[in-house]
Amino acid sequence: MTYTVTAPITDVLDQIMASIPLFKPELLLIGGFIATIVSALFVGKRLRNFTFAVYLLTILITIYFLQAQLPTVATGFSGMWMIDPLSTYARIIIATGGGIIGLFIQQRHKLGNNGDVYSILLAAILGMNVLCNSSNWILAFIGIETVSIASYVLVGYFSQNKAQAEAAMKYALFGSVCAAVMLYGLSLIYGLTGSLDFQSPEQLQGLMVAPEPILTIALLFVFVGIGFKLSFVPFHVWSPDVYEGAPTAITAFLSTIPKIGALILFTRLYTAWSSTAFYFSDLTTSFILFVSITSMLVGNLAALRQKNIKRLMAYSSIGHTGFLLMAVFAYQANYPYLLFYIMAYVLMNLATFIFIDALEERTGSTALSAYAGLGRKMPILFTSLTVLAVSLVGLPPTIGFIGKLLVFTAVFDTYQMADEGAVLFLLIVGALTAVISLFYYFRIPFYAFLKNNESPDIVSSDSKILVWLGYVLTACVILLGLFPSILLNLITS
Amino acid sequence: MISITHFLVVSAIIFCIGLYAVLAKRNAIMILVGIELMINAAILNFVAFSRYDKINYGGQVFALFAIVLAAAAVAVGLAIILNVYKYYKTIDPSNINELRD
Repeated sequence: MTYTVTAPITDVLDQIMASIPLFKPELLLIGGFIATIVSALFVGKRLRNFTFAVYLLTILITIYFLQAQLPTVATGFSGMWMIDPLSTYARIIIATGGGIIGLFIQQRHKLGNNGDVYSILLAAILGMNVLCNSSNWILAFIGIETVSIASYVLVGYFSQNKAQAEAAMKYALFGSVCAAVMLYGLSLIYGLTGSLDFQSPEQLQGLMVAPEPILTIALLFVFVGIGFKLSFVPFHVWSPDVYEGAPTAITAFLSTIPKIGALILFTRLYTAWSSTAFYFSDLTTSFILFVSITSMLVGNLAALRQKNIKRLMAYSSIGHTGFLLMAVFAYQANYPYLLFYIMAYVLMNLATFIFIDALEERTGSTALSAYAGLGRKMPILFTSLTVLAVSLVGLPPTIGFIGKLLVFTAVFDTYQMADEGAVLFLLIVGALTAVISLFYYFRIPFYAFLKNNESPDIVSSDSKILVWLGYVLTACVILLGLFPSILLNLITS
Repeated sequence: MISITHFLVVSAIIFCIGLYAVLAKRNAIMILVGIELMINAAILNFVAFSRYDKINYGGQVFALFAIVLAAAAVAVGLAIILNVYKYYKTIDPSNINELRD
């Protein structure tokens, strides 16, 4: 905050008025949020898909405003709100992913009046936008809590059985505890520095002179809250249960877009805090190294013994989070590979969950053994799923390979500059866990094509749109793997 | 004379009581109460520290927002616990374990 109490109120008002154009996409999301609530209340009973139409319209106009904002680098609202290409690209990915998730929910949950779910989705997207655009702890906390509360509601919204109710409860309780711990850490940081902006010189100076024990507690408490949203080790324990228990459309949401917002926030935090030669920078750097290595190891090793495909994807996404943290670690003011990996991750996960859901609808199960012998019945679907598995491992010719290659190159450059053993270890673990992941991802085609099942019972399904969307996303995975320059030129231009 | 240390000690004690209520976990409602205590400990900290930040009052503003967010989270949490009770007829987290490895 740059103004003081001596500034006349008219100046402050002028500044706020001048900042409103920077807030346009978010204002639109707020408008859409209210419009979807009203439409679910009054129109939803007569016109079933009207609320979904309002939702999709809001998303499309938001994306339009966001791409108009692409070249902007600005701050507004007394430094509380900042816009740069990194945040704008991230918000476009979030909005696009939100649109796909909306379609997913609309196709899968047709019974009853479900209009409210779209307003909750819009609230979640708004929270993620706030996370992308701020370096102020107040806004960061509001963003994290908005996304969290919306996610609790989403997990519990469709609950029709014991598992879904339990998943919602575990998620809500664990998330609230993490938020409370983070808030306490933030209060300590505020006390130590007197500033709430983590990029401001006052905060950095305050952190430099702060006593080490209390600083360690404060920083670790703050990382607890971010760790919950990113679900890295050791704050990952909720994610397998919640991913398994939640409806698949919601699992697809949880595993992809909330992570983007938290990751952008963590990237900004890491770049601001790791650049000095003081104790808190060392702590931040060693924390991210430790967490990245353990997340990759725990996620990929635990995935090996999973029998449920949604649980397997939960552990795989923990592993991918470790890899994303590796990308954050190597982040040096240029963002293409970070955004590229985020995009690849979102694309692969959304497509995989669409196919998992299609199979769940046809076989009534998410157990891997239920896929036995289905490869001959649904060859195209399982070929696509195999392509996605190849991409998730990170083998050519897919987008996952290019993403991993870019991150490895960036980390290797860092290693050559710093020449630290820990960075080399990070690289080795990254490569090793990619090999480990081969074993569990390839159990999908193994069950589908090589195991025999005399009479697999499949129910036919009429939701063709989703499966086709899955095929389109799979085609993108291959296409962008063969021609990554399409995406890279777009990001770097 | 009450100094900032007193506030910090009280808030640390409240935080620890809240954390104990969460870790002891016999009843989901008690966990929510524990969470509420932890959040209030942090809010107390914010308001106490804000005395030394007389220009912006960042801590006071943060405290207000934290109160609102905590209320929203607890409202959602209670609704979810009610839903769990419908299926399990208990809200003891140690008995609610359909999902596990």
